[in-house]
Amino acid sequence: MTARHGRRLYRGLLRLGPRSLRQRYADDMEELFLARLAEARCRGRLAAAAAWGAAAADIVGARLRYALRTRDVPHLEQERRAFMLGSDLRYTMRWLGRQRFSTALVTGMLSLGIAASIVVFSLVNALFLRPFPFDDPERLVYINETAPKWNLEIVGITYPDFDHWRRENKVFEAVAMWNEDNFNLSDASGAERIAGGSVTHDFPDVLRVRPIVGRMFNAEEDTPNGPRVVVLSEGLWRERFGGREDALGQTLRLNSTPHAIVGVIPNVAMFPGEMRLWVPFRGNPARAGSYGSQGAIGRLKPGLTAADAEKDLLRTQQAIWDARDRDRVVSPFVRTLRGQYARDFRTQSATLLIAVGILLVVACANVASVMLARALARRREMGIRLAVGASRGRIARQLFLENVLIAAAGGAIGLMAGRWALQLLLTTAGDQVPRWANFGLDIRVVGFAVLMSVLTTILFGWAPALHAIRGNVRGAMQETSGGSTGGPGGRRTLAALVTAEFALATILLVCGGLLYRAYDRVRHVDPGFRVENVLTFSVALPGDFGDNDESRAKLYAFWTRLVQRFEALPGVDGVGLVNCAPLGCHWGSFYRVEGAPPRKPGEPTPVTLYRPASPGYFKTMGIRLKSGRLFTDDDGRPGGGRVVIVNETFARTFWPGVADPVGRRLRGMGDTAPWMTVVGFVQDIKHYGLEQPMRPGLYLPLQQSPPSTLVVAVRTAMDPAAFAGTARAALRALNPDLPLIGLRTMEQTLQRSLAQRTLYSWLLAVFAAMALMLALGGTYGVTAYLVSQRTREIGIRVALGARRADITRTVLRTSLSIVGAGVIAGLAAAVAVARLLAEMLFGVPPHDGWILAYAAGGLIAMAAAVNWPTARRAARLDPVTALRAGEG
Amino acid sequence: MPVAVKTSWYYILLALAAGDSHGLGIAREVQDLSDGRIRLWPAALYGALQELNALGWIEQRHQLGESEKRRYYRLTRAGRTALTAETSRLAGVIRIARARTKPRAGETS
Repeated sequence: MTARHGRRLYRGLLRLGPRSLRQRYADDMEELFLARLAEARCRGRLAAAAAWGAAAADIVGARLRYALRTRDVPHLEQERRAFMLGSDLRYTMRWLGRQRFSTALVTGMLSLGIAASIVVFSLVNALFLRPFPFDDPERLVYINETAPKWNLEIVGITYPDFDHWRRENKVFEAVAMWNEDNFNLSDASGAERIAGGSVTHDFPDVLRVRPIVGRMFNAEEDTPNGPRVVVLSEGLWRERFGGREDALGQTLRLNSTPHAIVGVIPNVAMFPGEMRLWVPFRGNPARAGSYGSQGAIGRLKPGLTAADAEKDLLRTQQAIWDARDRDRVVSPFVRTLRGQYARDFRTQSATLLIAVGILLVVACANVASVMLARALARRREMGIRLAVGASRGRIARQLFLENVLIAAAGGAIGLMAGRWALQLLLTTAGDQVPRWANFGLDIRVVGFAVLMSVLTTILFGWAPALHAIRGNVRGAMQETSGGSTGGPGGRRTLAALVTAEFALATILLVCGGLLYRAYDRVRHVDPGFRVENVLTFSVALPGDFGDNDESRAKLYAFWTRLVQRFEALPGVDGVGLVNCAPLGCHWGSFYRVEGAPPRKPGEPTPVTLYRPASPGYFKTMGIRLKSGRLFTDDDGRPGGGRVVIVNETFARTFWPGVADPVGRRLRGMGDTAPWMTVVGFVQDIKHYGLEQPMRPGLYLPLQQSPPSTLVVAVRTAMDPAAFAGTARAALRALNPDLPLIGLRTMEQTLQRSLAQRTLYSWLLAVFAAMALMLALGGTYGVTAYLVSQRTREIGIRVALGARRADITRTVLRTSLSIVGAGVIAGLAAAVAVARLLAEMLFGVPPHDGWILAYAAGGLIAMAAAVNWPTARRAARLDPVTALRAGEG
Repeated sequence: MPVAVKTSWYYILLALAAGDSHGLGIAREVQDLSDGRIRLWPAALYGALQELNALGWIEQRHQLGESEKRRYYRLTRAGRTALTAETSRLAGVIRIARARTKPRAGETS
């Protein structure tokens, strides 16, 4: 921006300030500002922007001060003014009441825009702006380990690694580790599944929370052979013990082991996720431990950043690499807490913010165009009022009052509608939203709404109105009575506003259409498994099961009993067991195939999805066999040959070019791992979600290595949801201590996996529809205004012999050329914007011809339909009345 | 009733006490006097000058030479009196403040 532009812009800004100041000092003020700006420019772009901000605040501040100062007038004067304010208010109310339609239109548009912005702003506020409910939350960091060589972004932390960091690091005030876990909590009344966590004793020090009753467990209790103790969350304490202090010292049966209650922690500490109780981690630094769902959290020393911490941990990791991880497979990383937990929502939030920004601009343009048209139509009235001695200030004040009333109404309705829409959204989104996020109304959201409505009405309502009454009295009177049309300036502004509205609406419509098409495409992906009439739930057997033949036999016997019991139930067509059902968990392992060349150093070993499954699982889940056979009850017997079933991706990855892998052999990573023969070859399923690629995967006979927690899949003849009660009763009959976990139909699971995409596709579709409605309202209003201004001209034309069809055509052509210009500009912009969405489009090209054609055709057709009645009305005007119009 | 002297006014009067100056000069001087803490933006500065002028504390004149259109401001007798009065008032405040914030016996700073 050149100095000349700066000067111009500042002059424009000065118009917002008090007139007396401007008239006297404009040149001097400009000189001072330009000096300031030049200074700021030397310090960079941000400083220059800040200078503009400060200048604007300075001028608006002066305006406010002057407005307040005029109050300090003598007593009598003040009284008179108050009286006038009352009469202004009455007049304004009456006037707004008479203009019911356009008032409702403006208020409606304003509240629509504000409601949509509140929804999106609340989402962004809760996810990004609001801090975690802990002391100095910016000093909290999330720590985990990553293993690029295993294709795993997050692998979890082993206790020995954590213990090493805790001793060696130089960056943390405190650091703690947790593992999310579920517990079977049983008492006389039955069994319940409770989410909890094993945490190290320093967890509360990191979060800086204090037990509200009792104490946190100490370092002695947090050792491998420490006593069994538990700390409850406030919610669980109130639910189970009614908030009584005598809960301390009582015991809780968790996974069939009694735990002594030592303390209660406040609910804010239920972080992350929904840990409702804590038990000691009981880690052993000498035992290697396994990777899993562990995470760690640290409180940085003041002044340090996550990057510093990562550097320091990598330094300490050197010793671990030297000792037990020579290939440096696993390395720690550190992120800010918010960065970690809000990461998944960044793209969606950005998309929604942009979309709602566009919507808001459309709404503002609409408010502006309606207010401008209204003001232009009132020039005559204003002219008369000025002529009979009303002061300009009084008229400006009255117009201002009008806008304030509209802003208040629009803001209030928008706020309520926004709150309601947000509630609706959160209920629909269900567990897609993180638990720690608080979507309540806070001062920022309300402030945002108030600011939005005030700015919109003043900038887009009052300013155009003032603009319209500017100029001298005679001009205003003449223009409406003598001339044939309204001022060309006002008309041009109106046309530009409508063009802009349509351009923006086109962008939203195209993007919404693209996302919807992508959603449709995703929904029609073949999942590779049966979705209809399948019910799944988990069963977890409590207790420690060792890795020996005896406990394997015990587990297998239990699972066999369970399958038999469920198969015998009426209405059951099949029962299957698996460790991870589709769209459920991931259990990764590593395999080598016979005769494969050794991997080059640094080449990642593909992670294989490991799934022990019962013979009935494949039929129940509808997994299709390509060649070979499925499991039988004989597979996996101790002493028998080891067998395995692989999927398409596994075959493609490990035996490229081989059509049928049946008969080939593979084994685990250890040198003594037994060989397993492939007996079956099945089709891939979309295990990780319809949009996600499949990994190599294999199935093992359940009998070979039965886990203690399994998913039971039941195929029913009737509605699977109606089967829930029967399933619960059957499990209770088998073992009353066992809760039935996460009961869901496959249909529901599939819907949930799509929830996020459904949500923002719908949101964008709704925004697009709203923008469309606003734009149509805009063109309708402006065309109607233009026609009303051209009444005389039309009358003359008709009197001179123009046909009615010609009049209709002229009116339509004028309005459609405005709309068309907007649509064309919008299409070009939309293709550019859609490119940014590419990662969410699931292969739909950003320039998808059908969508563009639909959007353009639809917009123009709808604009024509909306303007048709106005055009017809213009054509039916009686020339005599028309010619008289504007005279009276 | 004496008029309350705003901080920005005080600095402006102080700047003019050293000699006549124009708007830009006053703004710079005020910034220096306040160690950069007070940056007067145009509307605030000229608003204040207008008010001070109305109170009769400063007067405005055109000085030919440097730049024809530049307006210079001069402290009037009334303005100087107001400045002195405000200064002694502030001095009184500072005396009280010093006495109250003095470290008490037994307390280490």
